[in-house]
Amino acid sequence: MYQLKIDDKEIEVPEGTTVLKAAGMAGVEIPTLCDHPALEPYGGCRLCLVEIEGARTLQPACTLPVSDKMVIKTQTEKVKNARKFILSMIFSERNHFCPYCQVSGSDCELQNAAYGEGMTHWPIQPNWQPYPVDASHPYFVLEHNRCILCRRCVRACAELVGNFTLGMEERGANTLLVADLGVPLGSSSCISCGVCVQICPTGALIDRWSAYRGQEKDVSSTKTICLGCSIGCGIEVLHRDNNLIKINGDWDAEINGGVLCDVGRFIPMDEKRNRLATPMIRKDGGLKAATWDEALSVVMENFKPFINKKENGIAAIASTRLPADVLYYYKQVFEEILGSNMVTSTEEGRYTEVLSEFAEDKGPFEVKLSEIQKADTIMTIGLDLTKDHQVAGFFIKRLIPEGTKVIPVSYESSGMDAFTHHSMIIERNEDLAFIQALDAAITGLDCSQFSEKSGVSSQEITEIANLLDRSQNLVIVYGTDFNTKQKKETVQSLLKLAKKLNAKLISPKGKANSLVAEQLKLNKSFNVNGHKAAYVALGDEDPSQAIIKKLENISFLVVQASYHSALTAKADVVLPVTNWLEQSGYYITCDGHVQLANKSLQSPVDVKTNKEVVLAIADQLKIIVNPVWDKAVKLEKSVVEIE
Amino acid sequence: MSKPKVATDWMAGCAGCHMSLLDIDERILQVLELIDLRASPITDLKEADESGVVVGVLEGGINNTANEHQAKLMRSRCKILVALGDCAVFGGVPAMRNFFTIEESLRRAYIETESTVDGFIPTDPELAVPTRVRAVSEVVPVDIHVPGCPPSADVIFHVLSELAQGRIPEIKDENLHWH
Ligand code: SF4
Ligand code: SF4
Ligand code: SF4
Ligand code: SF4
Ligand code: FES
Repeated sequence: MYQLKIDDKEIEVPEGTTVLKAAGMAGVEIPTLCDHPALEPYGGCRLCLVEIEGARTLQPACTLPVSDKMVIKTQTEKVKNARKFILSMIFSERNHFCPYCQVSGSDCELQNAAYGEGMTHWPIQPNWQPYPVDASHPYFVLEHNRCILCRRCVRACAELVGNFTLGMEERGANTLLVADLGVPLGSSSCISCGVCVQICPTGALIDRWSAYRGQEKDVSSTKTICLGCSIGCGIEVLHRDNNLIKINGDWDAEINGGVLCDVGRFIPMDEKRNRLATPMIRKDGGLKAATWDEALSVVMENFKPFINKKENGIAAIASTRLPADVLYYYKQVFEEILGSNMVTSTEEGRYTEVLSEFAEDKGPFEVKLSEIQKADTIMTIGLDLTKDHQVAGFFIKRLIPEGTKVIPVSYESSGMDAFTHHSMIIERNEDLAFIQALDAAITGLDCSQFSEKSGVSSQEITEIANLLDRSQNLVIVYGTDFNTKQKKETVQSLLKLAKKLNAKLISPKGKANSLVAEQLKLNKSFNVNGHKAAYVALGDEDPSQAIIKKLENISFLVVQASYHSALTAKADVVLPVTNWLEQSGYYITCDGHVQLANKSLQSPVDVKTNKEVVLAIADQLKIIVNPVWDKAVKLEKSVVEIE
Repeated sequence: MSKPKVATDWMAGCAGCHMSLLDIDERILQVLELIDLRASPITDLKEADESGVVVGVLEGGINNTANEHQAKLMRSRCKILVALGDCAVFGGVPAMRNFFTIEESLRRAYIETESTVDGFIPTDPELAVPTRVRAVSEVVPVDIHVPGCPPSADVIFHVLSELAQGRIPEIKDENLHWH
């Protein structure tokens, strides 16, 4: 521990702490611009200069590590003048006429810094050089005239996302932020994660959707989680007058530390589906608005003859985006009370069922996502992390510059290929042969028979096998996009290989409550067979073509949904429910974290939460459901430890 | 004690800062009890007294030779010069044209605008000559900068009442906005 004095405060901090962090601990505020807690210290803007007793010149607090007995002064005339000078230089470089800037008023760190120094004017006028505006990106605009070249975006794109799209071109006053080798952002390698937009301290990166719709001081914010997939990234939902304004990554969230993918940040902003606002009943061939009482009694009337009819009763299917308690109530109502043998989820166990079969005798065999960051070698197979569960892909990509070897295995080239030399393109559906080839090579056997089948040369197999074998901390991130005929066998041989290599396993599974659905055994493949009625608890999910088709000839169809769809159009009763932003409930991530999703928006008046609807049905049946969902979820052994 | 004389004028601005001055509503009476408002675009007298005033207030940037003259005249006749609003302080919205040449701006304004028919750029020698848009402080020394687009009525009231009571107003915290 080091003893320091910062202004008049004495404090003890651990070795290696920067002056900026030490000041933070002492409650002394030092203004910064290029620094951001989520990024490595950079020391570019010099706004954080402080006086250190004994040092000849002012020193940047963000990069300077403390030394014992250091005396730091942050409020001297010299420091204050330096800050004003630095701000004046920044203002003079480009166009900072605030009245027509998107972030002016509370969201601009540069303006706030100037206010903090009591600057009423600029001592130096700007040089009036116009810079271009890049409006080629679908989700945001790059306004070079407001850019202060702090490189926060560049560093975020590299350090947090591992995408390396952004960089700087030229030098001095001509320095320009560029995408790739100077192409428009919209045609660059950018994957639209938007982390750069969130981290930009000025109005240089402008989110198209939220621009001019209210600043931090005008909007309310709710911390919750993204329901885009089972990674469970923490988000902040900004809203104003019950309108969704913006989704930001939650910098404090343990799982994602602030980064999001486009599915979490931008896609929900562009909701184009039509909302269901009132219950509807089919009458004379068309759907007519009804009251909740009417709708529920029609449901009951038509369900009654089929209660307890097992395979000739009521088939039910629920979205894996629904909260855990709702899924448990739903299971009780349809399986236990209505006695159906076809109660499942929209995922039909696709990403989880084979895995849990192994958990039954092995117990949990997967690890937490956070293990990725400790890996020196990572293999991915049976999935494409540049398409789904993208943030897990970021965790992997960003390790590559530090020397982590990444081996993505896929049937065709993927977004990962540009970042690693070890991509493996294998024959379609031949993952099993590929794994067997690796296994043989590691065991010192001839792998040529398998390698040939997998479409990879035995030399390449040997190279990869060596890489895996040599690794000290191997993580295999796997999905189940394997040959359907050999799914179980493939997973089995992968587990065997992992055991041999002492590898850690992670599977990101499917949608937000994929694991809960699996634990509740809502994992059957959906078939109507002899069932006469069907209940689809779709929530805000889009119905798949396959499910619409399977339900084509059902005689009585109830759909519980937030939006109009091809399925609601066919329904006999439509029950309108809240979407993900309008309800709260529990979710369990792919790696077993239990998280609460909080309600951010009010729902339309005649819309009920998914929970209310399932409970209303239980009520009609005069039964009380067991509310202890967490126990039910832990009843069966799971592939990963559930908190 | 006699009330301090105050004169105001506007240049390359939109009159918004003077509107904001009027926005202080009935407090204008309080202000008038404290100061002696002489020349201003909203009173009959148009030029600050030759004998001088205590406070001169300028709205707008300086975008031609006439503005230059106005600013110099005000400076020469007042003890304390206040630059009121973003245009006076920074150049403001009119300074957007500095990113183009004067020739380009004139052509855009007098010939190319969608509503113009048979446009031409006026050349009457009586007219002031356009220049780059400058902050007041680029032409004459300014004592007090009051940024804001426009500064709110509260800020203006704060500035005037402080000056009237012989204090130099501090513009900070809640009163400091560049908008
Ligand atoms: S980026 Fe900040 S300082 Fe620059 S114009 Fe916008 S609000 Fe003003
Ligand atoms: S959106 Fe993401 S990938 Fe695209 S430039 Fe920004 S940080 Fe990089
Ligand atoms: S775009 Fe924003 S984050 Fe990137 S360098 Fe410019 S000011 Fe910094
Ligand atoms: S990775 Fe999944 S949870 Fe995270 S932001 Fe993307 S869709 Fe949402
Ligand atoms: S914040 Fe320290 S140099 Fe930029």
